[in-house]
Amino acid sequence: MQNRFGIKDFLFLVVLLATLGSVWLSMVQKTRMELAQADMKAKLDGIEQQLAQLGRKVESGVALAPGVGAAAAGAADDSWARPGVRIERWSAPRAATDPTKVPGFAIGGEFTELFEAQPAKLVPYISSDVYSTRVLDRVCEGLGSFDPKTLKMEGALADGWQIDPDGLWIRAHIHPRARFSDGQPVTAEDVRWTNLDFIANPLIEAERARSTQDNLKDVKVIDERTVEFVFKEPLFTNILVAFGNPVLPKHFFSRFEPSQINQATGLIMGSGQFRIERLPSGPEDLSNQWTPGQDVVLVRNEQYWAEKPSLDRLRFRTVKDDLARLVAYRNGEGSMMLPTAPQFNKVLRDEPDFEKTSYALKWTNMRCGYSFIAWQCGPRNGKPTPFADKRVRRAMTHLLDRERMIRDVWDGIGIVAKGPVNPESPGSDPVVQPLAFDPEKAKALLAEAGWQDRNGDGVLEDGKGDPFEFEYTYATGGEISERLARFVKDSYAKAGIVVKTRPLDWSRYQEILKLRDFDAITMGWGANAPESDPRQIWHSESIKEGGDNFTQWSNKDCDALIEKGRRTMDEAERMQVWRQFEAVIAEDQPYTFVRVAPWLRFVKRDFGNVNTYKTGLQPEEFFRIMSANPGT
Amino acid sequence: MLSYLLRRLAFMVPTILGITLMVFMLLALAPGGIGAGLAVSGGQMSDTSKVAQMQAYLEDRYGLNDPVIVQYVRWLGRISPVKFGERDLRTPSGERVSPPRAIEDPPLARAFPLPAVPEVVDAPPQGEQLTLEFKKLQREAEGTRREYIGSVRQFRDALADWARAQGPETASRLDAKGSARVSDFEGVSFDPASAGYAKLAEAAATARTKWIAARTAQARAMAAFRAGPYPKSGIPLVPGLVSLDTPDLGVAFSKNRPVADLILTALPVTLLINLIAFPISYLIAVPTGVLASVRRGGWFDVASGFLFLGLYSVPTVLAGVFAIGFLANKQYLGWFPVSGLHDSAAASMTFLPFTDAAGEWHRGYLVDTLWHVALPVLCLVYASFAVLSKQTRASMLDNFNADYVRTAKAKGVPRKDVVLRHVFRNSLLPLITMFVGIFPAMLAGSVVIERIFTVPGMGSLILEAIDLRDREIILANTFMVACVNLLALLLADILYAAADPRVSFNRA
Repeated sequence: MQNRFGIKDFLFLVVLLATLGSVWLSMVQKTRMELAQADMKAKLDGIEQQLAQLGRKVESGVALAPGVGAAAAGAADDSWARPGVRIERWSAPRAATDPTKVPGFAIGGEFTELFEAQPAKLVPYISSDVYSTRVLDRVCEGLGSFDPKTLKMEGALADGWQIDPDGLWIRAHIHPRARFSDGQPVTAEDVRWTNLDFIANPLIEAERARSTQDNLKDVKVIDERTVEFVFKEPLFTNILVAFGNPVLPKHFFSRFEPSQINQATGLIMGSGQFRIERLPSGPEDLSNQWTPGQDVVLVRNEQYWAEKPSLDRLRFRTVKDDLARLVAYRNGEGSMMLPTAPQFNKVLRDEPDFEKTSYALKWTNMRCGYSFIAWQCGPRNGKPTPFADKRVRRAMTHLLDRERMIRDVWDGIGIVAKGPVNPESPGSDPVVQPLAFDPEKAKALLAEAGWQDRNGDGVLEDGKGDPFEFEYTYATGGEISERLARFVKDSYAKAGIVVKTRPLDWSRYQEILKLRDFDAITMGWGANAPESDPRQIWHSESIKEGGDNFTQWSNKDCDALIEKGRRTMDEAERMQVWRQFEAVIAEDQPYTFVRVAPWLRFVKRDFGNVNTYKTGLQPEEFFRIMSANPGT
Repeated sequence: MLSYLLRRLAFMVPTILGITLMVFMLLALAPGGIGAGLAVSGGQMSDTSKVAQMQAYLEDRYGLNDPVIVQYVRWLGRISPVKFGERDLRTPSGERVSPPRAIEDPPLARAFPLPAVPEVVDAPPQGEQLTLEFKKLQREAEGTRREYIGSVRQFRDALADWARAQGPETASRLDAKGSARVSDFEGVSFDPASAGYAKLAEAAATARTKWIAARTAQARAMAAFRAGPYPKSGIPLVPGLVSLDTPDLGVAFSKNRPVADLILTALPVTLLINLIAFPISYLIAVPTGVLASVRRGGWFDVASGFLFLGLYSVPTVLAGVFAIGFLANKQYLGWFPVSGLHDSAAASMTFLPFTDAAGEWHRGYLVDTLWHVALPVLCLVYASFAVLSKQTRASMLDNFNADYVRTAKAKGVPRKDVVLRHVFRNSLLPLITMFVGIFPAMLAGSVVIERIFTVPGMGSLILEAIDLRDREIILANTFMVACVNLLALLLADILYAAADPRVSFNRA
């Protein structure tokens, strides 16, 4: 009985566990310090290399200011181009707003963006969530990019290109100075490899990017810096395929097996203004990479070939809880955050001093999607719905007071959507306005379509005496969608229309949409470019095979416009077609377009040159303002 | 004892099979089915036929187009350490390479005869070249397979179109979604003169061309695989038939990473927090329970009971929000950080705290970690005090009234010894039952706390997996927790025997 487990043994066990725990923690810490050392060494190596390059350049006696002489010489050299086709020339990318002209400009500092969710992985073309895109955009560059102010496609890695007037080929010339973050030059072979041996490689799980490549026939290397894309059909999306895709360094990624690339979590290298802090040098070093759960840290790419950013580091930290995110931002654990709409309003209303320390930004840009209520224009389970009639659909829109809806449901944040084209895009016509809230007009339209209150019970009936009743499907799990459902139900009840609400788990949405098993359904579409191919959603061909035209709306004019627009290579001309397309949709109202959600951001005033653009924000242009007493 | 142990262990196998089968079936029956998350996340596609083809490709890739029971057996085969059939290979970097998958015959072979497959399997090269050749062939096999799967999908669409063109009688063979299940068309005669036949025949011909390409590529890749570009994985038991290998938990659909990796990154985080939290809750609750029972009805008993039950009634969500809103918010107290496990400068910290020459205190990595986990640990422990201390108190009181205590008191044993040696030791039994419950809880993590404090532990992992219906993570997790739970129950029984001489397994 004496050797029983007693208090002393228990204390001993506790001490033992604590010791083991600290030993383990100290080992973890040791590895971390070793990693930090390795990183420091890599940085030193980089600087050494740069110095060596610079030394060689100085000794060779070339003009160090690359501007005048070199650019002029390059401009004259058109040997890469196909004769007889217009060449568009671009200078090296520069900041949309020059930060050096802004008072308080300084080099250095760290900028922390708070994410709402963790990026699953950071590997170009394999990652698919928005958060990884925000990181990848800083690290990788494509041949072209959208101008933040005009949204025109302009050269980034390319210093010139030619687009076949018939749309079958695109030839681009890479800037002679362009190089990856390890100092290796960006070549035509890298572009070819990215497209044909990375994205098109079936062993690499870039299925999403691969599906956009169907129209790509070949990528030819013309010379070291000239590459030509050949397409099967002349579509405007060819331009996005050729210029939008980030160019990956072949020499780096080909060190890894496809399965290693698929399962990597932080394999990301490009020619952008920042590079990731921890990057494996080869397959034997794969443990040295970012993994979810840690902050993502990007450091300035000292090898960047054009204007370097002024910030030293960008940090991306995830704080999932809404309240915790705001507290973390206030405490200074983050420099930028995305507030929820109520947070945005409450902070501005209750704290007059808030804007002294923070920018509270609210603006619409090309990445703003729209939410809508889609009406079933075709048959549901073989039976037609009332919404097959265009007059009914227009009446439905007239009956919804969307201004008030935005006030009541979204705390007044948002603008009324008018159609599928982003309002900031040149493809959106300012003349087209959202249908007004007008119950009288709606009543007239409904009466014209045969819906009248025939028996005086306050509910509309058709000629056969059947009441106007429909099912409204929405996704469960959000206060917003519940409020929206109540608003919709009330609005239509006032006009004598019975709405049955049908909350549905989001994972079942896909199935319901595919079967077209709904009367009205609410959803949103996202956007990440000034224009997208409307065929997927609006063409009558997309009704087939469970395509995304789930309202089964078909309109000959619209089909013709889509076909025409897709094949128009000239941007200005194409935008005119999209404007006509927008007008057709506005007239027919297959959706009631509800709201365009603006971007909301809080950014600390410790940073300068914070400008809102049509492409979003450009954190690479920010700088940390030098203050007399740091830390305030 | 040994026979008892063996029997208990043997009983675990059917229990685990039952648990995993049930979870598997629940996932399959859930609205949207297995991998619904795959479909939901596939938003931006430009062409409708591409959506269908991508779906078909993903279904093929993860084997989602097979009957549920086949998928379950396949999963069992993967996690079982005993493997049947061809052994996998292992690359020098430790990755498993499975044999190229067999290609199914195209549908409706009777109506649209299969062409002959040319037997062109040239001997694969030897040595260095073999690995390179195998990689190339692997890529080719995967590419042709993908095209073939797409073409079969298109054939099915053509079949559905044809059926609709034949009038309602044939169209009734289509399923509720309006698509054609090939098995429903097995006996149908296809009249070459019927409407839409040309398109159907063309789709069938394409499928057959792609089939030949896929078959040929698969055969060549198989030949190269058999030639052994890498060493074989595992230990053979019956050569070519049965072998031993490490269980494979599979690759998560939603994250495209091996489940084992995901668990290995999430588990230490959860363990760290729990290993700090559990001793704290025991060290506070058990002595409180003992003291409360000694002075039963006294002010300490009433106050501790009141306080602990009060804490027990506070929902974790609320406590987490208060902790962040007041304890972490610099507008109020701001004592603790809001999120994460380490400071952003943790990499350059020393392990232990120190004071530098200027007299400034540096907290170091250890203190920094403890400081960061303080709030999650607080939220994890506060509610556990009530149950533990009440349990201790009740069991102490039971023993206080027992005869042997009265005897001990009567023979003049000091009060301290009566309480600690006699009563407390005998009151430990119910605590053992509660103690083993810790282990599965440690693995599972706390969903609510991990979300509020953005702790990347097991709770967040499983919650995300459930949201996206990621079968592999859910199953691996269930499997793990089930195993640990059963083992913990076994441990409890053994501990009983050790702690209480009245319990013995030897006579059983």
